[in-house]
Amino acid sequence: MPDQSDIEMRLLLDAIYHRYHFDFRAYATPSLKRRLRAAMQRFRCDTLSQLQDRALHEPALFPALLDYLTVHVSEMFRDPSYFRALRETVLPVLRTYPSLKVWVAGCSAGEEAYSMAILLHEEGLLARSLIYATDINPRALQRAEAGVFDVASIAGFTDNHRRSGAPVSLSDYYMAAYDSAVFNKALKKHIVFSDHSLATDSVFAEVQLVSCRNVLIYFDRGLQERAIGLFRDSLCHGGFLGIGSKESLRFSRHADAFATVSAEDRIYRLQGATA
Amino acid sequence: MTITDSKPDLRPPARPEKSRRLPPSLSLLFLGELLAVIAAAAMAYGTLRQTNDASAAGSHALEVQRAVLNVSADLTDAETGQRGYLLTGEQTYLDPYNRARSQLAGSLATLRDLVKGNAQSLARADRIASLSEEKIDELKVTIELRRAGKSEQALALVETDRGKNLMDQIRAEQDLIQGNQDDQFRQSQASWQQAAKQSFVVALGSSLVLFVLILIGATVMSRDYRARELQIWVRVGQARLGQKLQGEQRLETLSERVLEFLAGYLDAKIGTLYVQERDGRFRRHAGFALSGDQRSDVVRPGDGLLGQAARENRVLRIDTLPQGYLTAASSLGSASPVELLILPASVDGVVQGVIELGFLERVSQHQEELLTRVSEQLGVALRSAKDRDRLEELLEETQRQSEELQTQQEELRVANEELTEHGDALRTSQAQMESQQVELEQTNAQLEEQTQMLERQRDDLVAAQLALTQKAAELASASEYKSQFLANMSHELRTPLNSTLILARLLADNKPGNLTAEQMKYAQTIASAGTDLLALINDILDLAKIEAGKIDVVVEHIHLGRTLDVLIKTFTPVAQQAGLTFTATLAPGTVDHIDTDSRRLGQILRNLLSNAIKFTPSGGVTLRILSSDEMVTFEVSDTGVGIAAEQQQVVFQAFRQADGSTHRRFGGTGLGLSISRDLARLLGGGIGVRSAQGEGSVFTLTLPKAYRGKPEPVAALAPPPVERRRYETTSTMTAPALIQVGIEDDRTQLQADKRLILIIEDDTRFAEILRDMAHENQFQCVVTHTAKDGLDAAAKYKPGAILLDINLPDQSGLVVLDEIKRQPALRHIPVHIVSVADHSHEALARGAIGYALKPVKREEIMEAFQRLDAKLSQVMRRILVIEDDPEQRLMIRQLLGGADIEIVEVDTAEDAAQRLANSTFDCMILDLSLPDATGLELLERMSQNGDLSFPPTIIYTGQAVTPEQEQSLRRFSHSIILKGARSPERLLDEVMLFLHRVESNLPPESQRMLKAARSREAALEDRRILIVEDDVRNIFALSSVLEPLGAKIEIARNGKEALNLLDARPARGSGAIDLVLMDIMMPEMDGFTAMHEIRKRSEWSKLPIIALTAKAMQDDQEKCLAAGANDYIAKPLDVEKLLSLIRVWLRK
Repeated sequence: MPDQSDIEMRLLLDAIYHRYHFDFRAYATPSLKRRLRAAMQRFRCDTLSQLQDRALHEPALFPALLDYLTVHVSEMFRDPSYFRALRETVLPVLRTYPSLKVWVAGCSAGEEAYSMAILLHEEGLLARSLIYATDINPRALQRAEAGVFDVASIAGFTDNHRRSGAPVSLSDYYMAAYDSAVFNKALKKHIVFSDHSLATDSVFAEVQLVSCRNVLIYFDRGLQERAIGLFRDSLCHGGFLGIGSKESLRFSRHADAFATVSAEDRIYRLQGATA
Repeated sequence: MTITDSKPDLRPPARPEKSRRLPPSLSLLFLGELLAVIAAAAMAYGTLRQTNDASAAGSHALEVQRAVLNVSADLTDAETGQRGYLLTGEQTYLDPYNRARSQLAGSLATLRDLVKGNAQSLARADRIASLSEEKIDELKVTIELRRAGKSEQALALVETDRGKNLMDQIRAEQDLIQGNQDDQFRQSQASWQQAAKQSFVVALGSSLVLFVLILIGATVMSRDYRARELQIWVRVGQARLGQKLQGEQRLETLSERVLEFLAGYLDAKIGTLYVQERDGRFRRHAGFALSGDQRSDVVRPGDGLLGQAARENRVLRIDTLPQGYLTAASSLGSASPVELLILPASVDGVVQGVIELGFLERVSQHQEELLTRVSEQLGVALRSAKDRDRLEELLEETQRQSEELQTQQEELRVANEELTEHGDALRTSQAQMESQQVELEQTNAQLEEQTQMLERQRDDLVAAQLALTQKAAELASASEYKSQFLANMSHELRTPLNSTLILARLLADNKPGNLTAEQMKYAQTIASAGTDLLALINDILDLAKIEAGKIDVVVEHIHLGRTLDVLIKTFTPVAQQAGLTFTATLAPGTVDHIDTDSRRLGQILRNLLSNAIKFTPSGGVTLRILSSDEMVTFEVSDTGVGIAAEQQQVVFQAFRQADGSTHRRFGGTGLGLSISRDLARLLGGGIGVRSAQGEGSVFTLTLPKAYRGKPEPVAALAPPPVERRRYETTSTMTAPALIQVGIEDDRTQLQADKRLILIIEDDTRFAEILRDMAHENQFQCVVTHTAKDGLDAAAKYKPGAILLDINLPDQSGLVVLDEIKRQPALRHIPVHIVSVADHSHEALARGAIGYALKPVKREEIMEAFQRLDAKLSQVMRRILVIEDDPEQRLMIRQLLGGADIEIVEVDTAEDAAQRLANSTFDCMILDLSLPDATGLELLERMSQNGDLSFPPTIIYTGQAVTPEQEQSLRRFSHSIILKGARSPERLLDEVMLFLHRVESNLPPESQRMLKAARSREAALEDRRILIVEDDVRNIFALSSVLEPLGAKIEIARNGKEALNLLDARPARGSGAIDLVLMDIMMPEMDGFTAMHEIRKRSEWSKLPIIALTAKAMQDDQEKCLAAGANDYIAKPLDVEKLLSLIRVWLRK
């Protein structure tokens, strides 16, 4: 028998789905529980039912609740070896395409999307590339689109960037003033920020590379399958998929469709006819 | 039933091939044979020696005789010479005497020598010698006397007979010697004969012994050989099982493979394999030839024989099974196994699984032996498979935990960031407190403002109300517009259908008598399908007319009695035919006349009555007319099937009926009641129903005695609109006639060696025709009716070819095609399309090998089969390489070359065109810069010139491609590869992909037909459509659908380009954009913004815009409408749906 709070959580997620069309019902439960507990404190609710009541009747409160439901932490060139692998293994293949599409799924505040743009720029591919950066949280997308980051975090970014095998300094790409750093407009020209949900929406374009890191960890098995299925449908044949360092395709039913390019950096390739 | 235990010999068997020595029995045999041969040889040697001796003795005797004779000859010679001399005195007579004298000594010596082994003979020889000497002396004396001239004396000496006596003595001695010798000779001859006899006996005896020994040897050898053969059989079985066990296999597949192998190798007819679970119970993991009722999924140790065998860890053999204990059945019959073997597979004494096998014949020793020997092998394999499965589970669990850990880390980071923020927030709250004071003051002022605002809101509400009224009016007119469209449409449909019906009827009559019964059946099928369609169209037309208010009411003064008479005349025969009674009465006190439209009244009553008759299996139908003050009531009651309470409203709604299968059982369109109800309302009355399931129904039509003019508008008459389905009318209209009725196919009796075709077609009639033709073409056939079933069947049966319809009830056939071409396992299957809608370009671009437009002629279907056939048997693939650099050509040749690939190389566009005109290719690799033309020019020439074949093309170029170039190239080719370090592998990959696809060029006949079909799409002809979309794949898909239909396509890659392009065009007249397809996610300016911008301009306010969105939620789509889209369609695009949308919005 499910315990009380499980029932309440299900009802709350149903309510959110029907009222705001955000579908968290297939997210991994333990993490969701913790985040909702934090949200209850923040909104001074004793039970999830109270939270549900407020969520339903106070639309203005929902964006703040959404920030609790979605976890937004990232940094630029996070896991530098991943970017190094992209630079050394993946981009030489992508170079053979006349135009390039990259999908950064779950882009959060845009760190990954900008990193990708910088990477492509450094490899001379940005001019013919387009990066789709998608997320479900509109506030995060706004922040991403602004391209402004706390100057305090730039030091860490710079270190990561250097370790990813970059030929130049990160400072070439931003302007720092008033405790903030703004990234170059030229990068943004090649990024489309858009609202897209891996839980409910479908494929929108054919892409050569999907980078979706530390997103699948928040999903339960079924939703992971759906998301990987979307990536598979979206990738051109022979296209690449990068996922987070703790994520794995091993148990997915799509696993057979992908060949491993770098097991360590979790980079996979949609198998073509010769594979 | 008896159970025998056999001791499980679980020790590994001694490996006989290790000891190369012969078995002891054989060695003993060989030893015996050897001894026999040696003995025979020794004996033979003995007899040989004896014969030798005998013959030597013989020859010795002969020699002795000769020596004796020599001696006597010499003496005789000497005597003869002496006598001659004595008589004549001539010297010459002394010669023989002298010679004899000289020889005598030698002869005597020889004789002596020869007889020296025999003492008696030796003595005699000596005596002969002395006598001879005496004789010689006597001769000598006489000769001396004669010589001395004393002849008388000599003669007297001779006459003394002394010489004669001597000679007689000598002869006697000689005879004795000879006799002695003869005795000896006879003796040795006797012993020689003895020896010969002996040797014959020895030879015979030893041959017999050898023969017996060899016989024994042969028996022993053949027994050993047979035993060896069985040993080998057992070992091969073990080895092959070993192979089956190799590799990392999941428990399920392992069990299946093991059981399948063992049953096959041992010739068991039925079998199961149970594996021990973690809780100690045994679960069935595999079955061999099990029938449905022979399953017992879980067995506890000790339960039944199987459980017992598992618990005791030993092989159980059960013979003399009672009849019917268990049956192994095929579809044709069944047999009862006579023996069962139950074998525990154990390792280290732990039973990992149990195998049970049933045999139709007695189980032999070696079969059982094989089973006991593999027990451990199996146990190990099962254990490791179980371990592997468990490991897999653990790994998955670990993965989940590591993900969970990662989420916690992420959350911690967020929490950390938040804490930092909180610190900052506390500092700032101090400042905020102060500012709140000021805010409070402001609030006062704001309150005042709000009062004013409330007043404004009230005004707004009034305005909104006005707008709503207006909207309602618009809605009404839109509904009328739709009905009118339907009415027109039905007319348009009827015209061609009529001729179809007539012609089909003519064919079915078969006046010239040249059709087979089958063909006549086809014609009848066409006619009956057409009649159904016509009835449906008529009903739709009626309904539409009523809704459109196109029906005029002609009021007459009607005599009710006469109306009744007409109905009785019409329906009595019909009722009789159905075995029903029909009565029609006028209740007492009913008025004589009614003022209303007689035609419509008749139509309603006829409909009610024919319905009643149709749904009444037995009993009767009654019509009763009553009247009250104002109204006249017509009551139609029956004793039929009745209608459940919850269905009673539904029966009046168009396209819905009490039971989806009703119309199949009873015929008709299901629209009759809707029409009747609408007509009744039109006449100022209504229809009601009282019924209960199984108790018959009473339909009452109530009309005013006198018609009082039209009622209020009939807005409520339309079927309840289902918002999301409004564009699917084309499919739902046809769907009811095609509800899934599976038709028989070959899926239950597939033969592995026969070609299989999959037919995905929702029209069962047509599917049947296709199936029969497939059989005619020696294909086995699986038929499915929906896209989903089709895909499932394709994955399950892996057919050699697919025939695909586009209009499927659940999804477009193009989606199916796409899915098939996406899956590596299915991609190579050639797909031929047969459809009523023309998406040939789209389909061919997606890899279909051909396209036939419905209505199809028989020959076209035959041609489709032939093409599939040709594709199936085609082996050689041809690739055309157009490249002017010889080194590059060499590289490509080396890369792609293979036994079944023919590469044709050319270096100019002119050459290429010539090749393409003369032959077809499976794939073409094109360089963009050629000496005589650019690649693009060549492609354009190919597309315009129908004589050139157009194989799938891969562009392989060293030059950079601008976005504009890429777009125009994309019209012709999906794959553009820029040369570089990693490009060869991609080239290889793409070529392999294409070689699975098929040439898209059609024979001229089909091309003409396609062109003719295209010109039919008048709605799109010369209309200008702007596609705003940045994804090349989508641009290509859209333009390849729309362009063939006559639409002019313009492309903008983002909102900004779209606005610029619209600006550059006139708002009306030639060159103006008629419709915009707007993507939402785009660089520079997204779709929402672009639509807002377009709607801001008055000249574009009416421009139809259809939004293309990947979002699925309702509010996303509402957002599109709010931004100014007239409509939206979700990605991935359903071509069918999109086309109907475009047609709707292009209509002026």
